[in-house]
Amino acid sequence: MVNYGGDEVSALVIDIGTSSVRAGYAGDDTPKAVIPTSYGYHRTAPDADSAMQDVTEDPMNNPGTPKIAKMHMGQYGPTVWREGMEVANPMVEGLVNDFGPVAALMRHAVVDVMRCNPSDHPILVTEPAWNTPANRERMAEIMFEEFQVPAFYIANTGVLNAFAAGKGSALVIDVGHTMASVTPVVDGFVLRKGLAYSPLPQYVHAHARHLLVNPTPHRRGIDLFPHQLIANKLPVDAGAPPRFALREDRVPKTTQSWRAWSEAREVDEWIQSVAGVLETGWNDQAAASRPPKQYEFPTGYISYFGPERYSVGEQFFLHAPQMMSSNSHLPKTMTALISESLRACDPELRQVIMGNVVLTGGGSLFAGFGDRLSAELSRNFPHVKIHSPGNPVERRYGGWLGGSVLGSLGTFHQLWISKEEWAEHGKAIVGQRCK
Amino acid sequence: MAAAGDIRSALDLELVPPAPPPQKKAAPPAVRKPEGISRELFSLIGPSSTTLVAQLAKPRLKQKPNLGQGSKIKWEWRAFKNGARTDSLQLHHWTKASADPNEEYQFAKYNVQPVAYTYSQDEYTRFLEDEEWTKEETDYLMNIVREYDTRWYVILDRYDFPSPKERTMEDIKDRYCAVCRKLIRNRPWAGDDASKNLLMASFNFDKDREVMRKKYVASLEGRTKEQIAEEEALYMEIKRLEQNERRFKRDRDDLLRTIAGIESGLPDIVEDEAALTGMLLDAKRNKRKGGDLDSPATPLLGGSIRRIPTVPKNTAYDLQHCITRTDQTGTTKAAHQPAYLRSFKLPFPKASVAPKVSQTLTELGVSHTRLVMPTHANVALLEGLIDAATSLVETKKVVDKVDYDIQVLKNRLGMQGPATKMEEGEDGMEVDDGNDAEGDIDAEGEDGRAQSVVSTRSARSRKQARRSVSVSSVDTSATVSTRAGTKRQRRN
Repeated sequence: MVNYGGDEVSALVIDIGTSSVRAGYAGDDTPKAVIPTSYGYHRTAPDADSAMQDVTEDPMNNPGTPKIAKMHMGQYGPTVWREGMEVANPMVEGLVNDFGPVAALMRHAVVDVMRCNPSDHPILVTEPAWNTPANRERMAEIMFEEFQVPAFYIANTGVLNAFAAGKGSALVIDVGHTMASVTPVVDGFVLRKGLAYSPLPQYVHAHARHLLVNPTPHRRGIDLFPHQLIANKLPVDAGAPPRFALREDRVPKTTQSWRAWSEAREVDEWIQSVAGVLETGWNDQAAASRPPKQYEFPTGYISYFGPERYSVGEQFFLHAPQMMSSNSHLPKTMTALISESLRACDPELRQVIMGNVVLTGGGSLFAGFGDRLSAELSRNFPHVKIHSPGNPVERRYGGWLGGSVLGSLGTFHQLWISKEEWAEHGKAIVGQRCK
Repeated sequence: MAAAGDIRSALDLELVPPAPPPQKKAAPPAVRKPEGISRELFSLIGPSSTTLVAQLAKPRLKQKPNLGQGSKIKWEWRAFKNGARTDSLQLHHWTKASADPNEEYQFAKYNVQPVAYTYSQDEYTRFLEDEEWTKEETDYLMNIVREYDTRWYVILDRYDFPSPKERTMEDIKDRYCAVCRKLIRNRPWAGDDASKNLLMASFNFDKDREVMRKKYVASLEGRTKEQIAEEEALYMEIKRLEQNERRFKRDRDDLLRTIAGIESGLPDIVEDEAALTGMLLDAKRNKRKGGDLDSPATPLLGGSIRRIPTVPKNTAYDLQHCITRTDQTGTTKAAHQPAYLRSFKLPFPKASVAPKVSQTLTELGVSHTRLVMPTHANVALLEGLIDAATSLVETKKVVDKVDYDIQVLKNRLGMQGPATKMEEGEDGMEVDDGNDAEGDIDAEGEDGRAQSVVSTRSARSRKQARRSVSVSSVDTSATVSTRAGTKRQRRN
């Protein structure tokens, strides 16, 4: 135990992402509790103004500050259809936008799922590199005032991902649910000037949705009804119109936000099983030569997806010129992010961090993403070395894993912000300690 | 029946005391049959074969490792204080109950604080004034360096002081090192000068050099793909040229040595010379030893003894009886040569050029594989001939190569004109000349033939070597074969 420098003090690590909240003991290799960050809720007066409520299409952008009567979280949270249940996500661009539900989510993960008393455990929370000081101070406040933790620390996901890969200095390429970021890490510190991020995965998601919903010459637009709204369906041939019946009892009582959330989930499912990216760059012939993939939607509709499935992944790396000209606010592509990040780094440092590229985040599990990235990078950097764990758990929960490593180190325990220090110094200690 | 004693007494023999009754045969000490061996076999080999017994001993299981001295270890969930912390936070961890609760936390020792340099206002005004830096910024710098423990990349990233100009990493490093150096230099030093200088040296920083180096690194990175490719191609070209040059030089030296021998004055000859002088010395020593032959120590060297009668060489006698005396230089066993047929000593051309050489020789009408009378002189002559032919072939090769290079260069310069054609013509003439000469030689008598061929050949090759740069030749192998054909006809 001494050899590894580990000393477990039963610390908890909580990693809050846009798609899920991960919580577990420091020193473990997998989080004990993984719950979706999206939560369902009922307003104080259910079915009073649900029709009036104008929820925008993207649930992630509209948590607002609804008056919540009851929250549905975790395993039986938004996935369960409930009459008049709204769905919201407290995260915006990877940052906590609404602390009320976040505190509830953390409590759910720690108390209800892990069955821990937070006042017994030091808690390490993660934050993205672009987190604001106000946000982290608020987090500390929640931890100390609400959860009564004995000690608290907030660490950067970029750094933690580097630690999870066993590196002190690295270029961390993190592709999450809504945000893609490139973070240079040197000796466990983020180089803030080299940080580059954009809501690229969201854009890719929108592209995929557009692709599915809009009719094409050889395919009608696809209905993205989730299985919760389908009463029965009959098997049909590929490409034939689906034969299904909706649950008429549920459809009218479904809120707009739940529909949007569930449809987004369908799109994600489709992306995860069908979409891909060509390893060597876009090439019409190469895309056409790949075998098409079959996918069945919850409605029973079956279709084969050929080259179009590769056009989805292409959005990660290259924007079509016509899109560029029509829309100047496109999120930066991966290549643009990486070059922006490297440009801000010292030329000498570039060599070092390009030899230690860490690819992480659930979005990086996109089929062919790692190969394409390596092809793109090695075009400009012949000595690039990419560390991309093959184990999906390590990819998806890299930030949590790094927190688990850090929180179980004997030398780390001097860095905890203790309750005493919080009482003495107040919010200033957070910025001082967690550099 | 008379007892034996009666008979003895009757025969007046000495009375023998009755033999004691035969003792019961002592039963061998009971040896238990070891396990794993049949009873019959054991009764055959007996208990003496200890190795067998040892081998057949009952196998025993490996001893179980004794972990933790057998007794259970009690662990307990115990609060501990971390010495590296300034507050009273008590975290809990599992420790052995036997551990001393007042022991220092084992990881506290890793909390090493770097040496921080601080200065007073007075010190600042006396030593550290710098027109580029205010005291406030210097203070800020020293603090941030301490905070980030001289991680310069991080320091530069977090450096946020409203200074009049943007600070680069070199600026920051330079200022920090200068401040530290000045403080060390001007403060009283407890240790000796060497350690002070060492510490000072650790703060040496050459800003201009660093800036230059960074520029180089940046420019290296800024190369385009084409530039990199070109650079690589150029590098390869240089390597190739160097290699060619080296090989060419070696070949030329070899040729010169073959042709001119020791007169070429090439440094490599020295080795041979050394060997030669060694030989001479050896001979001298032998001679000296031969002088005091009467001493019994000399017979050890059989060679020298054998040599003694040969020393007074009678050349006339030798010539008369066709005796060739080899110069016996080696007296050691390794150098000793047993008797051999001289036909075994027929020289062979180098494998790489063997076909061409044999072709050339065939053309001369000499078969190098079979010598009718392999006398010493003939073998030497043949060797000389083959050497000459080899060098000729090699010279030809070099000539061809150089010519090709010239062609290529000319092509590259776009200057391929009538000059080359002219040279080709000239070369054709030259070849014809050679033919004629050879024809003449062929006409000569059988005796001096080999010798003369070699001489002309070598003369020609020398000539070619000298003018190797200018000569360009057409496909010689073809000409050679045709020539050979004509010659054969002529001979027949």
